[in-house]
Amino acid sequence: MKVDLTTVEVIKGALIYAAEEMGIALKKSAYSPNIKERMDHSCALFNHRRELIAQAEHIPVHLGSMAMAVRVGLEVYKGTLEPGDMLLLNDPYISGTHLPDLTMIAPIFSEGSIIGYAANKAHHTDIGGKAPGSLAADSTELYQEGLVIPPVKLVRKGVLDSDLSNLIRSNVRTPLVQMGDIRAQIAANNTGIKRVDELVEQYGAETLHQAMDDVMDYSERRMREEISAMPDGVYSAVDYMESILPGDGDVSITVTITKNGDSMVFDYSGTSDMVDRPVNAPLGVTVAGIYFTLISTTDPTIPVNDGCFRPITLKVPEGCMMNPIRPAPVAGGNVETSQRNVDVIMKAFSQIIPDKVPAASQGTMNNITIGGTMRDGTPWTFYETIAGGNGGRPTSDGVDGVHTNMTNTMNTPIETLEAYLPFKFKAYRLRPDSGGPGKFRGGCGIERTWTLTSPKAVLGIMAERNKIPPWGLQDGKPGGKGKFTLIRANGDTERLPSKCTMEIHEGDTLVILTPGGGGFGDPKERDPEHVRRDVENGLVSKESALDDYGVEIDPSSYEIIGVKRK
Amino acid sequence: MIRVSVDVGGTFTDLVAFNEETGGIINIKTPSVPKSPEKGVIHALKQFLSEHEPSSVSMIGHATTIATNTLLGQVDLEVPETALITTLGFKDVIEIGRQRRAEVYNLFFQRPPQLVERRHRYEVVERVNTAGIVETQLDPAELEGLVNKLKKTNVASVAVGFINSYANPVHESMVMDALSKSLPDVYLTASHMISNEYREYERLSTAVVNAVLMPVMHTYITNLDRNLNELGLTAPLYVMQSNGGMAKSNIIASKPATVVESGPAAGVIASAWLGEQTGIRDIISFDMGGTTAKAGTVRGRIPEVVPEYEVAGTIHMGRLVKGSGYPVRFPFIDLAECSAGGGTIAKVVNGSLQVGPVSAGAEPGPACYGQGGKDATITDANLMLGRLNQESLLSGDMEIHPELAKKAYKVLAESLGVSPEEAAMSAIRIANSMMSKILRIVSVERGYDPRGFSLVAFGGAGPMHVCALAEELEINHIIVPPNPGMFSALGLLTADLFHDYTSPVIMETNEVDPGKLEDMFSSMEETGRATLMKEGIHPDQHRFQRTLDIRYSGQGFELNVETGNPVTPASLSESLIAFHEKHREVYGYAAEDEPLEVVNAKLRVIGLLDKPSLKENKERIGDTEMETRRVYFESTGWVDAEVYQRGSLDGVHVGPAIVEQYDSTTVIYPGWSYVPDRLGNLILRRVAQ
Repeated sequence: MKVDLTTVEVIKGALIYAAEEMGIALKKSAYSPNIKERMDHSCALFNHRRELIAQAEHIPVHLGSMAMAVRVGLEVYKGTLEPGDMLLLNDPYISGTHLPDLTMIAPIFSEGSIIGYAANKAHHTDIGGKAPGSLAADSTELYQEGLVIPPVKLVRKGVLDSDLSNLIRSNVRTPLVQMGDIRAQIAANNTGIKRVDELVEQYGAETLHQAMDDVMDYSERRMREEISAMPDGVYSAVDYMESILPGDGDVSITVTITKNGDSMVFDYSGTSDMVDRPVNAPLGVTVAGIYFTLISTTDPTIPVNDGCFRPITLKVPEGCMMNPIRPAPVAGGNVETSQRNVDVIMKAFSQIIPDKVPAASQGTMNNITIGGTMRDGTPWTFYETIAGGNGGRPTSDGVDGVHTNMTNTMNTPIETLEAYLPFKFKAYRLRPDSGGPGKFRGGCGIERTWTLTSPKAVLGIMAERNKIPPWGLQDGKPGGKGKFTLIRANGDTERLPSKCTMEIHEGDTLVILTPGGGGFGDPKERDPEHVRRDVENGLVSKESALDDYGVEIDPSSYEIIGVKRK
Repeated sequence: MIRVSVDVGGTFTDLVAFNEETGGIINIKTPSVPKSPEKGVIHALKQFLSEHEPSSVSMIGHATTIATNTLLGQVDLEVPETALITTLGFKDVIEIGRQRRAEVYNLFFQRPPQLVERRHRYEVVERVNTAGIVETQLDPAELEGLVNKLKKTNVASVAVGFINSYANPVHESMVMDALSKSLPDVYLTASHMISNEYREYERLSTAVVNAVLMPVMHTYITNLDRNLNELGLTAPLYVMQSNGGMAKSNIIASKPATVVESGPAAGVIASAWLGEQTGIRDIISFDMGGTTAKAGTVRGRIPEVVPEYEVAGTIHMGRLVKGSGYPVRFPFIDLAECSAGGGTIAKVVNGSLQVGPVSAGAEPGPACYGQGGKDATITDANLMLGRLNQESLLSGDMEIHPELAKKAYKVLAESLGVSPEEAAMSAIRIANSMMSKILRIVSVERGYDPRGFSLVAFGGAGPMHVCALAEELEINHIIVPPNPGMFSALGLLTADLFHDYTSPVIMETNEVDPGKLEDMFSSMEETGRATLMKEGIHPDQHRFQRTLDIRYSGQGFELNVETGNPVTPASLSESLIAFHEKHREVYGYAAEDEPLEVVNAKLRVIGLLDKPSLKENKERIGDTEMETRRVYFESTGWVDAEVYQRGSLDGVHVGPAIVEQYDSTTVIYPGWSYVPDRLGNLILRRVAQ
């Protein structure tokens, strides 16, 4: 059958809207600030062939992985799903990310047969395991990271399975919060089901299926056009993750992109073998990085669905870091390796389409997990990620202090933290001179400093780019490295490694410096007026203005004294 | 006496005058003067005064877009140099914001331009903790140094915002005192005075937005006042705020952040008033103008509000994109918006038809206006489908050219492989699907079943699209007010004065002392009463609404519920019960065993103003004149439709039909009946499925 263009356009809009409305339902009814305030969740709709049809623009790393969860997770339940059923899973080797990400999938029925699926993924603040927040930096296998949930029917014909709920409750630190968020995830899927039902009623299942196929074909055609416009060739890039192996050794991610006509092959041969540190990235994370790069370097207005990714072939050697084998630990794959994965792909893309690719952004999420007990004995846990510098772009400076690439979660207000948790903040500001010098400067990183005000707590840090800085492009210089410093209550100061778990005590102060973005283009070509403005605004020192940019600035009047360039 | 309102829009400045004695309403439309909007206001008033005495005017209501346009960086409206004084270590809170980017997949994203450049952000050593205890004293010597530094700059306005100042504003007050003494010509805003709630970024942002707007608004109000005086108008000037209430112009001049969405709010207020007049409680207001369509909800005659908004932000699929604008924490009439207006352009992009976001605006306007516009717009599509008069608009004042509309759509039609009429119909269907989404956002998404609501359609283009939208949402009752194109301006005559106050509480409910809460409310009431007295409102007309922001301990979102006057343990526990009920209504569940927390005590102070009431409208402007025209409808294709002049109708008719009038055209779909009510509204009802 043929569906007219306008109907396709209207159905496309309605499906994206339905996915967005799922996100709003989830956010509204969720319990934890992580979802409510930081919006660490994503929603999507799939067709009966389990192809991604529409997604709400939330967290990029969830994007590729949710498609995988739906494709693989439903395999066991083929033919046994009934209306009102919902599956829950978090097994990274099926759902594609890490244990705290709980995926909930609901079949959508019309006249007795499945016409599609509503699914969502939400980052829970705890799913058990050895450390509060379930992001331990020192796990050596998956089982230490928390409760592993294979695809299970948590909801049967609309009724929550109390045995399974009890099992989950007993394995997490804050069961009320987890169950509240799970309820919200159920509500989100119900919203998606309702909207698709309405579309079926209005247009009929056949028209709906055809329209969904047409939208995917459209996205495929647009993506193939974009790829065709790129020069054919084989492009390779490598980047590193630091201090992973014994003796401060690094591991590498290598990608080779073969671009031929209107298709691309991504080959990860040469990537380091999986490690017994929690930085392995399940396939869902690997794919998400490719999808993110592809969408953001071509045309972000192409509707995101499975059609976009038909031109892509993937070769990831089994057992390498980007396609690990159970039970390799994966907690940080989703948050750290995912950022490096994008860096590597972007680096390769910078050879293909140099005018569309920025220099490296901070390349980490600076994950902080912390928990302990309050003075009155109440247990507490907290998780946050901290923004940094955005890489300089081919036509503009990188943005200062912002989340980049695979994450986009919000911060928690300082006044909220001081009111509820044992923190006293000293600083939250931009880091001068951390933006990589360039014709277009990299964005500055952030300083976030606080003192613990309760007797003791377990602090977990999982971060990157403390040793190998974010790279510049086209003669742009690298961004400033990140740094974690602990000032003990007695004044002793120690530099902390980028990945560690440790006990801290009342009065201890943690100084977090996040990396800046790399610069783009030769800093000697930067408009001297922009250098002057940066100095006056205190984001670039007059020393750096002179050494890196060749611009001498009067330290009191902020006027340009001289410009020395070859 | 006559009450006059002036609503400044992008294209037209509308004046509505209501004669309290006769009940008569006068409508005047004049072109806006974007570079100096007060000139447009004066033009409209001069036209009105050519037939009326200045002394007959008892009040002037006003809505302005000057605040929004300043923040949007419109040419000719310069953003004044503004400084921020904050706690040591936190000068970049205002820039980092919530650390998100507004567009996830756009590698070239930008933050909205900083309103306070980093070089103008000053830090001082001071610290107050979360309980309001001063931990580090602000050193007067350091403050003096800062004041001297500021004296050497050309800063026009200063915002002061310290960490935890909501808990204790002592240091902000110290700085304000010092600055007002030493820098008498500089405008000052303290964060605790403008938004006394926790969450530092939102409070500081509200303060900065206010600081930036103060010089602009002060100049604007001063100019306007002087011009009014020259015209002999001495009646009080009230300005519409984003919360749907008015405030006297001198108060607005020092609190301009309250008026950033002043115009759009007026339409929803007008809808609520129309509900009063017609006895309807639940309304979705639908306003479609030249560049955008906006939807709002009125429940139980009360417009829905949100506690915070991002000014000058971008809209994606009807919703504001978080992080794209400047947060302002005041109650805002809750509106969903999309770029679908009469002038919105349809284009073929990569083989698919797209509507918006670009609009042809007033210049050059739709292709059919013959002013040089080449792009195909929604107005052109309506013309091609027979829905608009084929010769002229504005009751003959403006000639239109159907052949130019057809020419524009032919271009689209060729690349789509369809007929020009089909292309036009497609553009309307896509625009309608966008607009049905914003109607859903304000109803379905908030848990309301739209089938129980009436749809009030206004704006020049609203009544043309309303039937299709009503069918989509299964709404069976539509009201088209007498002058849809002037309805927002009329709304300015239907509002009361509002002043909103907040006192932070942040305590678990078992720790809350009802006596202390009562003190908080009493002190806010005192401030409010004094303000109303200054605005010339008699104490008989003062009203007070007390509410509490409550939430489950540790949750991020509060719900606002009413609370008793006076506050007693019993009234407090009633509020808690109300909270659980509201939580169930909004979020689908309530956890009654969970501890609760009172976050804020809020007071709305209301000064009641007289409202116009529509008079019985029995006169018709002559006999029912009817002609027929070929009109295209989705369900029937081309059919003969009856065409009437608004005001000439009598009795119940059945669509398809077109009702034309000066400021709008109503398109009645097949399957709908229409009848004028006794107040001159056109009532549309669905008669067949």
